[in-house]
Amino acid sequence: MNQEVQTIEQAEAPGGRIADDWLIAYAAGNLSEAKSTLVATHASYHPELLNKVRDAESVAGALLGSTDKADLSDGFFDRLMESIDAQDGEAGEAIDLIKPVSAKNSNVPQPLADYLNGDLEDVKWRFMGPGMKQAKLWTGENGEKLWLLKAKGGTEIPEHGHNGSEMTLVLQGSYHVNGQKFGVGDLEIASDEIEDHRPMIDEGEDCICLVVTEAPIKLKSLMARAVQPFIGL
Amino acid sequence: MYASAQVRVEDTTDVLTPTTVQCFSQNEENKRSTARKGLSITVSTPETLEALAVRVATDRDRLAFKQLFAHFAPRIKSFILKQKVTDEVAEDLTQEVMVTVWQKAHLFDPKKARLSTWLFRIARNKFIDKVRRQKYIEVDVDNHMQSMEASEKTDVPVIQLQDQSRIVSALKILKPELKQVIELSFYQDMSHSQISAELGLPLGTVKSRIRIAFQKLRVELGEY
Repeated sequence: MNQEVQTIEQAEAPGGRIADDWLIAYAAGNLSEAKSTLVATHASYHPELLNKVRDAESVAGALLGSTDKADLSDGFFDRLMESIDAQDGEAGEAIDLIKPVSAKNSNVPQPLADYLNGDLEDVKWRFMGPGMKQAKLWTGENGEKLWLLKAKGGTEIPEHGHNGSEMTLVLQGSYHVNGQKFGVGDLEIASDEIEDHRPMIDEGEDCICLVVTEAPIKLKSLMARAVQPFIGL
Repeated sequence: MYASAQVRVEDTTDVLTPTTVQCFSQNEENKRSTARKGLSITVSTPETLEALAVRVATDRDRLAFKQLFAHFAPRIKSFILKQKVTDEVAEDLTQEVMVTVWQKAHLFDPKKARLSTWLFRIARNKFIDKVRRQKYIEVDVDNHMQSMEASEKTDVPVIQLQDQSRIVSALKILKPELKQVIELSFYQDMSHSQISAELGLPLGTVKSRIRIAFQKLRVELGEY
């Protein structure tokens, strides 16, 4: 691993906290479904990140509030009120945009609970490899994936190079990689140029992570490559 | 803007007794009224707009809603048009945003956010839902009880309840190359790699400019 790669990684998520440009991209609505879900979940662990999201949204609000007015077509307001009266008649069948905080006492932060419409108890785990289970949540264009990883304490995740960057958020337990510890709420961003990436799950409880993978991971060992089509990563 | 200026002038007129009004010469009264309107226009009137939203929520006040509409609907459409969609799509989304404002006004809390910020969130979510057809999970930024780790240092949101004019001024004094990346992020719904391609700059440069710009805004607008 060269120094430059190290620097990029540290700048992306220094000390396990995502950098501000990601929070702005989240607030602006520029992130994919997988990345926005991961960033929202990560921010839920850290008040200072939530504050920054709120500040970024306030900047956006000021831009919206101070933008030039566009012309509206004739009769716009009347059509709007007709639509409102029609919908009011349907007795509030409207979709909740601003979701109420889920009443259920979830073991995951609110954004992930909203996304799963449940919590980790509801996840259907599938075998992934020795000591490892996975649950796929979403696949997007270019093979981007959002998935959950559950690994037993003491498991070594097989050495893998990346085709794209990989973002890992710890929801339970902890792991070490290259001398750095990642615990609950910490985020690791492993760049696509990283060569030697072998996370070691800490002894003790299962480690559960929310992961975004940009492109299929290339597993290095012959054995790992042999099982790759089977495990679907 | 006219609507909010009008509300403020009306409010002020209510407080004036007939005697006070007579004390002003007609000319002076006109000047003062213009000055007040001028002030409303340049400083913006967040309290007034937020108060209108509260009236929509509590009284289902259609006049208040019409005033909010006059102020925001053309701006919401303008903002959405910047995302490179057709006029028709922009109008449809603007209508949906305003319907949501009517239906969800009770969820707006003026102590927690400016109305324009709340509207931005609604517009953003509608845009992602209808145009990109993507799920976008909203983090509940107003409830820190959601935070599962409270052990770390908590700094405060510094821009949250700032006047729009202060935020706009802080943006204006940013270096052009910093202002540009912020505007491209919010106005044009561009990912940082798209901005990098558009400006012909390395991704790392775009990212660091956005970080610097945001940091400068928070320092400029914050008390720390």
